[in-house]
Amino acid sequence: MAATKVLKIVPERCTGCLRCELACSYMQTGTFQPAKSVIRVSPFEGHTSYAPYTCFQCAEGWCMTACPVGAITISAVGAKVVLDDQCVGCKLCTIACPYGTMFYNPDTTKAFKCNLCGGDPACAHACPTQAILYEDAETADWLGDFAAGRATPWLETVAGNGGR
Amino acid sequence: MAKRHVIVGGGTAGHNAINAIRQEEREPAEIVLVADERPYSRMVLPYYLGRTIAESHVYTATPPRLAQLGVKAHLGRRAVGLDPKAGKLTLDDGTVIEYDDLLVATGSSAVRPKVPGVDGPGIHSFWTLEQVRRVVAEVHAGSHVVMVGAGFIAFTILNSILALGARLTIVEIAPRILPRMIDRTGAEVVEGWLRTHGVEIRAGATLTAVEQVGGRRRLRMKEGGDIDADVVIMATGIKTNLEWLQGSGVRVNRGVVVDDHLRSSVSNVYAAGDVAEGRDLITGQPDVHAIEPTAMEHGRVVGANMAGRDVAYRGSLLMNILDVCHLDVASFGRWDDPGAPEADVVVGARPERHGYRKLLWRGDRLTGAMIVGRADDVWTTNDVGMLKGLVQSGVPLGAWKEYLRRNPFDVKRAFVASRTTARLLPETVLGRPSPPPGIVWATA
Repeated sequence: MAATKVLKIVPERCTGCLRCELACSYMQTGTFQPAKSVIRVSPFEGHTSYAPYTCFQCAEGWCMTACPVGAITISAVGAKVVLDDQCVGCKLCTIACPYGTMFYNPDTTKAFKCNLCGGDPACAHACPTQAILYEDAETADWLGDFAAGRATPWLETVAGNGGR
Repeated sequence: MAKRHVIVGGGTAGHNAINAIRQEEREPAEIVLVADERPYSRMVLPYYLGRTIAESHVYTATPPRLAQLGVKAHLGRRAVGLDPKAGKLTLDDGTVIEYDDLLVATGSSAVRPKVPGVDGPGIHSFWTLEQVRRVVAEVHAGSHVVMVGAGFIAFTILNSILALGARLTIVEIAPRILPRMIDRTGAEVVEGWLRTHGVEIRAGATLTAVEQVGGRRRLRMKEGGDIDADVVIMATGIKTNLEWLQGSGVRVNRGVVVDDHLRSSVSNVYAAGDVAEGRDLITGQPDVHAIEPTAMEHGRVVGANMAGRDVAYRGSLLMNILDVCHLDVASFGRWDDPGAPEADVVVGARPERHGYRKLLWRGDRLTGAMIVGRADDVWTTNDVGMLKGLVQSGVPLGAWKEYLRRNPFDVKRAFVASRTTARLLPETVLGRPSPPPGIVWATA
């Protein structure tokens, strides 16, 4: 396998400023439009905590193996990437990816996803608090413990008794 | 002498098996492919109809690619008999091929109802490339196309027909559209959306005959109200291609019955894809999943096992997605679980956005899901993928179950806080990272 640098998320540092989404959408589509970003900041614990969420570049590559025409491959920096001239827009990758990090662009009728910006991720550059790092690491569930520690007690307190 | 693997069928299952053999084998084996057509991807045929891709784009294992993979191909040939005791396969031209192990991946064929005139000119199935070529030649701007059958296949070509400027009428014998993919409420949302896009739907309508009238087709309907059409597309279902296995001793139920290694009742005969009756990931029961993702996973597992690996398959997850004029429609797992207690079926609707969801539970695990939503809404969150992840992982959702009951449009918090990612990351189909497509690792 190629390089092992991954986008490491440190959710405790995220302020919810959304600069990563703007940078990502600009890098990916040329427009400052968070809806076209492939890194998405979500609120947890009501709206008091935030964390960015993006493709884990997982070992299976569910999107890649699902593609019927081989339009998703592994780039030199180890990212699963969509080859635009091969993608027909059938959306199989979007239901194959169990992380919800495979997107479809109705304007181009192609699938799109995090490609690590070719090894220089714009989101990591844009993050003012180093909540997004691009470094040598094993990919991991960066947000699970953070969200479980904040959102689950919030759910139980706010929603009370299982939500009722 | 090198081992000889024989692959019968060049569709998704066969193609993936060949690639997996080459990726996994330690010593180069001989691979023989028998396919009655040049291998192509059925999944992308609708885009060829819509002219957004060229015909050349549909081919998968092209002759150069087969040569690169070191595959001896019998293209245009059909398997007609299998003799597992002798280890011999017979083709329709009399050729006999000996094998060490063999994959049955002969897929399905389109079927038409037995109605007078149904095989006449201007009436087509949309299944094989040859059939699709005929449809491509006949559908033009201004054509009136009538699709008989409102199932998945019909819906995959709906956008292309409209994009070509043709007028479309859908005729369905069941009282509603997409009876095997979404529930009645979901179907109503999709029907409403289609009507606003100028598509006429005649559900609960039975075709009794097709007549040729002045160069056009006249569909006679049991309920009255005949329909005139330039082109008729019969999307009335498929049947598995199993007849050729009769007398072989390979155990067949609805499909070839396979174990968790996708071996049939004959240990060196495997089956994959539409013809295989393998384990359903959610129910644990044997089932035939005639869908692309199952064919792909089956094929890879068989290829790895043929190459000497010992890969047990967890089972396939039923899943489908359709783009209906930019309204996305997807379902996963046991979306129509008849045994689910009523309290464990959650629905959410946003009628003003044509949004509809249904979540089905067993205990605090999601076992099925359905989602309908506008493309510009659905892809701003991608709950589609996360719902698949929740169903696939079977993660216990605890108190998040009740949260999702009240907030079915907010899946992400539940997904993340339940550490679904941590469950999913170690999962691979073949027990190792997947290589990119197109790589040949071990062939000589």
